Amino acid sequence: MDLDANRSLIAAALGRISSGDRTALQTVYRLTSAKLFGVCLRILGTRSEAEDVLQEVYVTVWRKAADFDAGRASPMTWLIAIARNRSIDRLRASGQSRNMDPIDAAADVADSAESAESALAGAEQHVRLHGCLDGLAGHERAALRGAFFDGNTYEELAGRMKVPLGTMKSWIRRAMIKLKACLEQ
Amino acid sequence: MSDTFDHSGLPEDELLAAEYALGVLAGVERTAAEQRVQRDRAFAQMVADWERRLAPWAAEIAEVVPPPQVWDHIVDALPAQAQGQSLWQSLAFWRGLTFAAGALAAACLAALIYLGPVTQQPPLVATIEGGGQRHFVATIDRKNGTVAVVPAAFSADATRVPELWLIPSDGRPRAVGLLRADASVTLTLPADLAAMAKDNAVLAVSLEPPGGSTTGLPTGPVIATGKLTSL
Repeated sequence: MDLDANRSLIAAALGRISSGDRTALQTVYRLTSAKLFGVCLRILGTRSEAEDVLQEVYVTVWRKAADFDAGRASPMTWLIAIARNRSIDRLRASGQSRNMDPIDAAADVADSAESAESALAGAEQHVRLHGCLDGLAGHERAALRGAFFDGNTYEELAGRMKVPLGTMKSWIRRAMIKLKACLEQ
Repeated sequence: MSDTFDHSGLPEDELLAAEYALGVLAGVERTAAEQRVQRDRAFAQMVADWERRLAPWAAEIAEVVPPPQVWDHIVDALPAQAQGQSLWQSLAFWRGLTFAAGALAAACLAALIYLGPVTQQPPLVATIEGGGQRHFVATIDRKNGTVAVVPAAFSADATRVPELWLIPSDGRPRAVGLLRADASVTLTLPADLAAMAKDNAVLAVSLEPPGGSTTGLPTGPVIATGKLTSL
């Protein structure tokens, strides 16, 4: 599904939800649930948990649709943030992330092939983010990846990469500063 | 960046916003950041900016279609519906339609404009409404086997087209044709559909991909319906 082409459609439907229009919520669900289920599943690991959280995500969308400002944010950004946050809340409540496998920073190489593929698909922002991620050190990129895709905490990342907690905090913060500088060039 | 690099490049608040958006916080730190998003607009904007920067990464996550019961659970979890609102949450909707004709005056007017001379078989009219708005007014000329559909408050959609469906007493929708948001459309009813166009049959409009549904049933949301009434 081409989510960019659907952007205005999703934004308009979000606008109608705040007036109590359930058809609008169904429209948002039809257009976005496969992406958001993928996000929940990636973080939570099991379908049953991801289904549970996906339900919470759309009930949250129903409650908070009035907070969405189409002039300031992309609807998919807003929805993905809700899906990630609800999934991470679930991880935190359960005490541990699902993916705790050791991370080998040396194995995290910049992946320009993936960028090229995204360019073909027209995902300009993805290419841009990827370009900036490729500019980070391997250990920084690996740490951010564990946080974004596995929902790991600072502590969990320190454990997976076998470094002290303080070092991990410093890596992530430094990586985020570099990322912002690069993206805003 | 040099080895003597420190965090002075960004204010502490912005780093906290980045950590929250990335998701690395836990326990009281995460709860505190969450609460701050609720009450501190500047901080909420910083978090939103970081979410915008990171969201494109999700393009790498494959889409997975959730099982159909998830939607049913969502509907069950929503607050009880306010009176007068419409809900087309499932195919069950197609079977349970018992709508009042509603807004007959407007339909009569449309019929008179369209029909002109009185015909042997009285025309059928329907105002097609949804979400508290009248979207289309339809008039069926049974003698000629045509249905004329006039847009009322229907707003165009960039990527999808409105498709008209006839739902006779058996509850199964039949495709009639594509409508336009900006102009009246007259569609010919095939003989089998014309025979089903009777009092109390229902006209419905769904949003479909350009060219219309290819499955023979509505694939997009049903946005409006109306019951046919003889004039």
